[in-house]
Amino acid sequence: MCFMGRWSEERVIGAAPDASSLAAARKLARPGPWSDTGSNDVLVWGKCQGSGKTPYQVSVDIAAPAYRCSCPSRKFPCKHALALLLLWAREEAAAAGVETAGFAEEWAAQRADRAATRERRQSEQQTDPVAQAKRLSDRLTLMDAGIADFARWLTDLVRTGLASAHNQPYSWWDGVAGRLVDAQLPGLAEQVRAMGSDIHARADWADHLLLRSGRWWAMTKAWSRRDQLTPDEFADLRVAVGWATASAEVHAAESLPGPWLVLGAHRSDDGRLQQQRTWLRGPDGTVVVVLDFAAQGQALATPQLAGALLDVTVARYPGSAPQRAMFTSPLAPRGLAGSLGEGCSIAEALDMESAAVALSPWRERHPVLFAGVRVCPGEAGWLRDGSGDALPLVGAAMDSLLALTGSHPVNVFGELEEGRVRPLSVVIEGAVVTP
Amino acid sequence: MTWLADIRSSALVGTGRHPVPAPPSELEFRPPEGLSREELLLDQAALVDVATRAARRPDLLDTGRLPDPAPPDDAPLASADAARLLDLLLNQPPVGPELRTQLVADWLQLAAASGQRVPHGLLPALLALADARPSVAEHAHPAIGVRGRWLQGLRQKGSGRQGPAPDGSGPGDSGANPTATVDWAGLRTADATAELERLRGSDPSAARDRLHTHWDTLGARERAAHLAVFAINLEPADEDLLEKALDDKAKSVRDVAAGLLDRLPTSARASRMAARLKTLLRVKGLLRKQFEIDLPPDPDPSGLRDGISPAPGTGEPDRLGRLATIIRGAPLEVWTAAADRSTAATLAMLDGETRVIDTIVATAALRDDAEWVRALLGVRTDARLLGCLAPAEREQALLRHIRSGTAQPMALVPLLRDLQRPWSAPLANAVLELLAAKNGAQLATMLSAVLPTALPSDTADQCRRLLQRSDDYAPRRRVFRDVVQYQSFRQSLTEAFR
Repeated sequence: MCFMGRWSEERVIGAAPDASSLAAARKLARPGPWSDTGSNDVLVWGKCQGSGKTPYQVSVDIAAPAYRCSCPSRKFPCKHALALLLLWAREEAAAAGVETAGFAEEWAAQRADRAATRERRQSEQQTDPVAQAKRLSDRLTLMDAGIADFARWLTDLVRTGLASAHNQPYSWWDGVAGRLVDAQLPGLAEQVRAMGSDIHARADWADHLLLRSGRWWAMTKAWSRRDQLTPDEFADLRVAVGWATASAEVHAAESLPGPWLVLGAHRSDDGRLQQQRTWLRGPDGTVVVVLDFAAQGQALATPQLAGALLDVTVARYPGSAPQRAMFTSPLAPRGLAGSLGEGCSIAEALDMESAAVALSPWRERHPVLFAGVRVCPGEAGWLRDGSGDALPLVGAAMDSLLALTGSHPVNVFGELEEGRVRPLSVVIEGAVVTP
Repeated sequence: MTWLADIRSSALVGTGRHPVPAPPSELEFRPPEGLSREELLLDQAALVDVATRAARRPDLLDTGRLPDPAPPDDAPLASADAARLLDLLLNQPPVGPELRTQLVADWLQLAAASGQRVPHGLLPALLALADARPSVAEHAHPAIGVRGRWLQGLRQKGSGRQGPAPDGSGPGDSGANPTATVDWAGLRTADATAELERLRGSDPSAARDRLHTHWDTLGARERAAHLAVFAINLEPADEDLLEKALDDKAKSVRDVAAGLLDRLPTSARASRMAARLKTLLRVKGLLRKQFEIDLPPDPDPSGLRDGISPAPGTGEPDRLGRLATIIRGAPLEVWTAAADRSTAATLAMLDGETRVIDTIVATAALRDDAEWVRALLGVRTDARLLGCLAPAEREQALLRHIRSGTAQPMALVPLLRDLQRPWSAPLANAVLELLAAKNGAQLATMLSAVLPTALPSDTADQCRRLLQRSDDYAPRRRVFRDVVQYQSFRQSLTEAFR
């Protein structure tokens, strides 16, 4: 992607999959067991003498980043890769300038080949409009059938009653989700699966299922009238049903220049998939969110520090604001902001949510910068603004928030989700802090 | 919102069995003609969904539940270096859990000494560690600053538990009830003992008066338990009550009284014991004088009252036990008087009398008799004797003992563990010599918990050399590695607070 220069030790630590790998790596991060180390702009490599006869061959692509090691560890990156990076970060090994080791070069070449093949395949697809149109119409037929099937399932659901659905096992919901996946509607499938567990986990399951059924019903209606939707409305619907936009298409869209201010970021891990959301605001006030995904055990893209200013261009996915976006140029940090700017009151934030729902009824998460709110303990915690309005918090590290703010009024950036706030960053004494 | 309630019940039961309500007219939402019941319900559910999300209102928080904002922190923030080290210790400790706890406590003490405080962001992790580790909790103040105390207050309020107050006064004080004097006799035995113990600590004579007043109304078990409390702040004025207790019906009470009187060498019982002991001691030998000690005869009534064991129904009486009772009760001056020599010379005349010396050691330690303790340390190294000395003198005595070369390494473990840390350089060197010796590995592992803090920083080089001895036994290397790690981290801490 881009050349990032020598990593800091913190960055290496950030790449570790868990604490024990890091601890093991620290033990290995001494010159003793290493030989044939070296680095260039994109690769760091070395051989590590383990317990076996042949030393492990370790290569790290520091730009992507990607890791490879001949050891059998299933940790990713393994302790050898981490130890090598630690040594390199401390400038104790892997100096630049030596000739690239054969095994590292080979691996880099394989990776480049694969990437090239992937791109070629994509461009081939694009260059064949007839086949492309056929694929599109096949997909739409499949999706239409899936939506019609789902609409029928919804009418069955309300005819037999939500109470009987409450008695269904998880496999029943999973079956419905499976049919949606087959119909290439993975976004809907995910929501149905979530309902399968929510319905037993939530006390307000009846209202939750009722409102969700209404929203799903509206989606089936919107789908059948997709010809009448504006491009943005249709794009939002596509996201909701899970029809991905190819990144090449996004790349082709207009790139917006920086500097982009990192408002806050959130990482989640549902056991199968890790997700990272990074909220950014551009110089003209445009707010976008960059999403990164990684399978279990794989490394997510490096998190961006809240409050950092990034010299980077971004391209936006289609849809209504705040849009999803992707970086289209190398990232270059350009210092830290002392504030996130002017915030709003809780009432104003709810008005904003209201307007956003009118614009895009499928969106569930809204970025908000609150001004002068106090963090108050109790249940999952609360935010309370100067006028006495309050919103419950969700997923908040209360100890940390209270320690940082002392319950004094501060500006808080977070995600508004189902009437609750997930705080992602706090502005304290001229610095943006992650609780 | 009866409309929503109607939709909810219709949806729960199912439209197959329940009619679907019509949308309220004021919403001006008219469903198209010809919809099935299910479609009519789902349409309205969609409407309710959007309306709910578009019409959210803020909650109003009960102001009574709001905490007062934290007062400003007046102490300066710890330096960036110091903060980084604490962050490292709390979140990615490079050392084992024991060393980490010690280093966090060190950090807090250094911060306190330089008047600096913990950065706010590190307080949650620090307070969580303090919950698990008393030695961290002990030094948390004042380094956690105003914000830390405020957080502790919130946590206590949140969990509703009555922990120690933020100003550091212990929870034990809360049990002090000013009206306890009135209903002390009404307390359960254990509570009454605890209350008497508290009073004895602050006002010995008041405790004595209270027990004296209630003495005759108490049961035997209570009398014994309450009297045992007098071990705290024992003084000659307690003698009358203790003499009275020697006449008690219950043996348990008499034993407690005798044990306490053993500690009062000026008491009447001590004089009686002195008289008994004198008749047993004879000095023999011309050039090399030596004590000859007779075993005591069967005790007379007065001796029985003083706690000397009576003749058993069958078998031989425990004459050595009787002798020990007499030695423990008599003033130690009886020995010097009988020998007509200095304390050390008197002890020399007891050479070979192991049991007698054991009893004298116990007696001298119990009475905290400095002269005898010092003399006894010349012939015996014992934790009880060392415990009577001031820290510096204690260390000296132990050092002499180690240098004498007669020390049993394993017997040193408890003595060294109890010493104040860090040790002086001579002691540290003497111990390191023992540890480095061929058979010192076991001693090293036994002392592993105290060594990092016990060895002064100027032994660092020596420890590093010992660590590098490649042919060494792994557990010993681990001990030295801990020491070296601790000392170098400790060095960084000192520099960060400079």
